[in-house]
Amino acid sequence: MTVMRYAEALNAALREEMQRDPSVFLFGEDIGRYGGVFKVSKGLRDEFGDARVRDTPISEQALTAMAVTAAMSGTRPVLEIMYADFLPLSLDALINQASVFTYLWEGQVDIPFVLRTQGGGGVGTGAQHAKSLDAMVCHIPGIKVVAPATPADAKGLLKSAIRDRQPVVFLEHKLLYNTRGEVPDGDEVLVPIGKAKTVVEGKHVSIFASSKMVIEAENAAKLLAKDGIEAEVIDLRTLRPLDLDAIRGSIAKTNHAVVVNEGWTFCGYASELSATIMEHCFDDLDAPVARVAMPDMAIPYSEPLEMAVLPNAVKIAAAAKKALA
Amino acid sequence: MATPITAGAVAGEYMETLVIVEWRVGIGDAVAEGDVLLTIETAKAAVDIEAPSAGVVSAIFAEVDSEVPAAAVLCLIGNDIADVDYDGGEAPVTGSSSSSTPATAVMAAERAAEAPRAAVSSARIVASPAARRAASAAGIDLRVVRASSPSGRIKLRDIAGASQSAPAFAGSAPVSAGLPVDENGPLKVHRSGATGGAPVFLIHGFASDSLSWYPLDRQLAKSHPVYRVDLPNHGASPKRQVSGFADLVREVRDAFDALDLDGAHVIGHSLGGALALALADTRPRKVASLTLLAPGGLGPKVNGDFISGIARASRPESLAAWLKVMVRDQTLVDLPFVKAAFAARASAALRAAQSHMGETLFADGTQSFDLVAALHRLDCPTRIIWGRKDRVLDWRDALQAPGHVGLHLLPDVGHVPHLEAPDLSLGIISALIKSI
Repeated sequence: MTVMRYAEALNAALREEMQRDPSVFLFGEDIGRYGGVFKVSKGLRDEFGDARVRDTPISEQALTAMAVTAAMSGTRPVLEIMYADFLPLSLDALINQASVFTYLWEGQVDIPFVLRTQGGGGVGTGAQHAKSLDAMVCHIPGIKVVAPATPADAKGLLKSAIRDRQPVVFLEHKLLYNTRGEVPDGDEVLVPIGKAKTVVEGKHVSIFASSKMVIEAENAAKLLAKDGIEAEVIDLRTLRPLDLDAIRGSIAKTNHAVVVNEGWTFCGYASELSATIMEHCFDDLDAPVARVAMPDMAIPYSEPLEMAVLPNAVKIAAAAKKALA
Repeated sequence: MATPITAGAVAGEYMETLVIVEWRVGIGDAVAEGDVLLTIETAKAAVDIEAPSAGVVSAIFAEVDSEVPAAAVLCLIGNDIADVDYDGGEAPVTGSSSSSTPATAVMAAERAAEAPRAAVSSARIVASPAARRAASAAGIDLRVVRASSPSGRIKLRDIAGASQSAPAFAGSAPVSAGLPVDENGPLKVHRSGATGGAPVFLIHGFASDSLSWYPLDRQLAKSHPVYRVDLPNHGASPKRQVSGFADLVREVRDAFDALDLDGAHVIGHSLGGALALALADTRPRKVASLTLLAPGGLGPKVNGDFISGIARASRPESLAAWLKVMVRDQTLVDLPFVKAAFAARASAALRAAQSHMGETLFADGTQSFDLVAALHRLDCPTRIIWGRKDRVLDWRDALQAPGHVGLHLLPDVGHVPHLEAPDLSLGIISALIKSI
C-alpha cells in the first residue's frame, strides 16, 4: 500500500496504462505542457512525448468526436474535459456516435475510449463550473459511467476504464483531488466496473452515494451513530451499469434507503436510483426512498448560499432520520 | 322501504328545532348498526345520531348548519342507494339555510345508476411494503396494528410489536380480567373546521368525550382545522386497559403524532389538561401554544367521589347529580343537557371501562401523576383557565405555575370554564392563538 492523493492515483493509472499499452494516448486542454489544471497528467508529456500527451484547442465537441473516431481506428484515447459543466458540448458525439456505432456496424467496431472530467461544487466556482451532470451522461445506453470516491478506486477504475471495450465517462470531483488514501501497489490491481462497495456497515438505513457524496454519507453515518442509528454507506463507484445486487442486499437488511447525488433533484441520478430501488426492492421498503440532491436551481457563486444548497452530511442524516421515524 | 332517521328522543321531547352540526356519512355510504350518522346541536349540547340498523344512506334531507324541526326526518337508511321510499315522519323539511333538499332524494336515485361504492368505506390502511409483507407472513390483520411513525404509516417495527402480542388479535381471551372488552386500534380523532390555519388539538377530560368541546370547537373551527381526540374508553375510541398515566400519554401522543401537525395549539381540560401538558413537554417543536382548562396533574388532590360516581352513573338522575358538581351555575345542568350527556354514556361497557380507568389513574383518590416540573420546563406560550368554584380539582394548584404562564382564575366558575364561561374562554384562547 502507498498513501497518495486522488490526483496522484489517477496520474499513476495513466502512466501505468500508457506504459502497458502503446495505443493509449491522452489529449485535452492544458494537459501537456501545464500538466492539467488539476495536475492529473503532470509529468506525463515529459515521459511519453507530445504525440501521446497532446494539448488541444478549446472545443469539447470536436475533441469528443476525435476520441470516438480515434477509438474506432484502433487506439485507446483518454480525453480530458476540463469541467463537467461542458459535457453538453460532448453529448452529440456521445449520444449519436460513441454509444451507437458498435450497434450500427453490427459489432465490427469497439469504441474503447475514456472521457475524464470533473464536476461538483463547494469551492465557489459558480453556476458554470460546479455542476454535477451525472444524470446527463448516465442517460445514454452504451456508455459506462464511473465516479470513484477514493484514490484507490480512482486508480483501479481508471485502469479498468482504459482497458474497457466500451466508451467510459470517468467522473472526478474537484474537491477529491487532494484527498489522500491508501492505494494498493502493483500495475495489475484493477477495480471492476459495475461493482459497488460497502464502506460503512450498518443495519438501520442504507445510504447510496458516489464520488464526494460518499464522504458526506460517511459523515452522516457518524452523526446518526450519535443517535444510535447504524447507517450503512454504499459507495456505488459505478453509476452505470448499476450494481443491483449490492443495492438489493443492503435494503433487504435495512429496509430503508437514502439516495444521494450532488446533481439536480428533478430527473436526476438520485431519481433514477430511487425508481430502481422501488422496482427491485419494493417489498423490502419500510419507508419511501429519500432523495438528497441539489435543489433545482443554479449553483450560487456566494459561498454561504452554495453551502446551503449543496447536499451534505446534515441533510443526509436528516433524511435518514425521517425515513426511520 | 327505507328507514327514516330522526333525532328521536334525544331532542324531540324538549326542543322545537335542532341544528345540523356535521354529517359523518354521505349518500351511498354503507353503514352498520351503531355507526354515527351525524351530529346535531340541541340547546347546549352536541349529540351524535347513530344508525339504528345496517344499510345504505339513500337520502340526506338537511344540510350542515341548517335549523330543522326537532321531529324532522334527517336522512334515510335504505337497502341500497335507490331505496328512498319510507313511511311516516314529516315530509322532508327545508332548513332555514338549506335550499337543495327537495331534489336530494331524486339525485340519490339517479346516483344509484352510477358505479356502486365500496361496501366498506373505511380509509385504506397505510402500511409500508415491508410491513405488509411481514404482516401477511405472520397472519396479522393490519387493521389491528397501530402505527408508531409520525407519518401514520404502519412500519415493520409495528408488526414486530404486534407479533409479540398476537394472541390478543387472534381472538383469545382478553388480557384484562377486569374489562369486558379489550379493543385494538388507534384512538378516534374527529376532524372538523377550516382546511387552512393553525391546527387546534383538543383533549377532553375524564368521563367526558370529544362532544364536550361544543360550542368551543365550533367557534375555533371557523378559522382553524380542529382535531378532537377521544381518550381510550371514551367516546368513539377503543375500550382497553390503561396501565397508568404514562400509558395514556403514549396513546394520546401516538394519535397526535399520526396527524403530523405542525404548530398545533393544544387545549386540554381536566385530565386532558394533564395530558396536554405531557404532550407539550415531549413534543415541544410541534406545539405552538397550550391552554389548560382546570388541568389535572398539578397537585395530589382530586374529588375521588366524583371520579367513581360519574364513571359509574347508570341512570340519568345519578349522572345529573355528578354533572352538577362540575359546574357552579346549576341551571346549566338541565334535562336536555343531562339526556345528551347520558346518551353519550349509555353503554354499560363504556362505563365499566371508565370506572376501571378511573381506579387506575386516581387510585386512593389521589392524582399520582405530577406535572409541575413539566409546566416549569415549558417554553411555549401557555394559559391556565380555572374556575375558583371548582369542586373536582383544586384551582389553587394553578398557583404553582411559573411566571411565564398566564393564569385566568375565574370567579363564580366551576370545573368546566369552556361551558360555564364560553365567551371568556374563547376570547382567552383566540387571543393566545393570534399572538403566536
